[in-house]
Amino acid sequence: MMLAQQYASIKRDLDERGIVFSFSGYLSEGILYSLGEALREKMALEEADGPTIRRVFSVFVEQMQNIIRYSAEKMSGNAGRAVELSAGMVTIGMEGGKVFIVCGNTVHNSEVPRLKQRLDHLKSLDRDAIKTYYREQLREEPDDGSRGATLGLIEIARRASDPIDYDFDAMDADRSFFCLKVRV
Amino acid sequence: MDSLTIPATGRTPGVFFDFAGGHLRMTGESYPDDVAGFFGPVFDALRGFLDRPDGGAIRFDMELLYFNSSSAKALMNIFQMLETVARGGRPVTVTWCVEENDESMRELGEDFAEDLRHVVFQMRELPAGGAP
Repeated sequence: MMLAQQYASIKRDLDERGIVFSFSGYLSEGILYSLGEALREKMALEEADGPTIRRVFSVFVEQMQNIIRYSAEKMSGNAGRAVELSAGMVTIGMEGGKVFIVCGNTVHNSEVPRLKQRLDHLKSLDRDAIKTYYREQLREEPDDGSRGATLGLIEIARRASDPIDYDFDAMDADRSFFCLKVRV
Repeated sequence: MDSLTIPATGRTPGVFFDFAGGHLRMTGESYPDDVAGFFGPVFDALRGFLDRPDGGAIRFDMELLYFNSSSAKALMNIFQMLETVARGGRPVTVTWCVEENDESMRELGEDFAEDLRHVVFQMRELPAGGAP
């Protein structure tokens, strides 16, 4: 297949899924910032109001920071200053009049049960229960290794207009690909 | 130290702590890439101020338009510090500013205010049109 044809087919596939932003590769806080700016500018151009833009942005930030912190595929070292990069995917699109954000990253299989349990718990809660859970976690010391992930996931569930969707795809004995889809 | 001033950047809040006047303000947005690095010095300065024995009334204006979940934890920390001095008898008023129609921020204000017993908490509505 020819070069342009190959990449046009990737782009067509993204277009057909309603995806308007996509990034796959090594993510950093700098990319979070720039991609977030572009996302907000695009929504502002489409005349979305401030609270709506902030709701989408909030889900985006929490999802991106989850990849940056918890991706099992990281590169770190010193490039004049300490650098840590985390591999993952982020796509943002429109579907049935709603914005959706899908993030994906590799996780260690040992972390899967705990993550599943957290997400299932969140999925089982209604709006009021999510609010109560947020209030509790806001006053909790973060549990070991989570670096505050619980509150971030609650924030995501809270801004979502539909229940969150998630899935794992086993890659090998040690790792799985984790995907989280949120509609706002 | 009589004041702490940190100008806002794209992702870190503006901090305007006028300790002499007892007026604290935070503006802009908060999702720092290093939350502990940003809020550490803010906590230190605030703690130093709150520990002074000659404390007068304190006003804290929370004018953030957006903050992420790690900043929420930091903000909660500030609220708990203020509640502690208020319990000790120092008058403290917190004003939580919300853009009109921003239900998420209004709800967050209620979440933060829930266990304040001695701090006087009020919500103030601002016209829409700040930074998105």
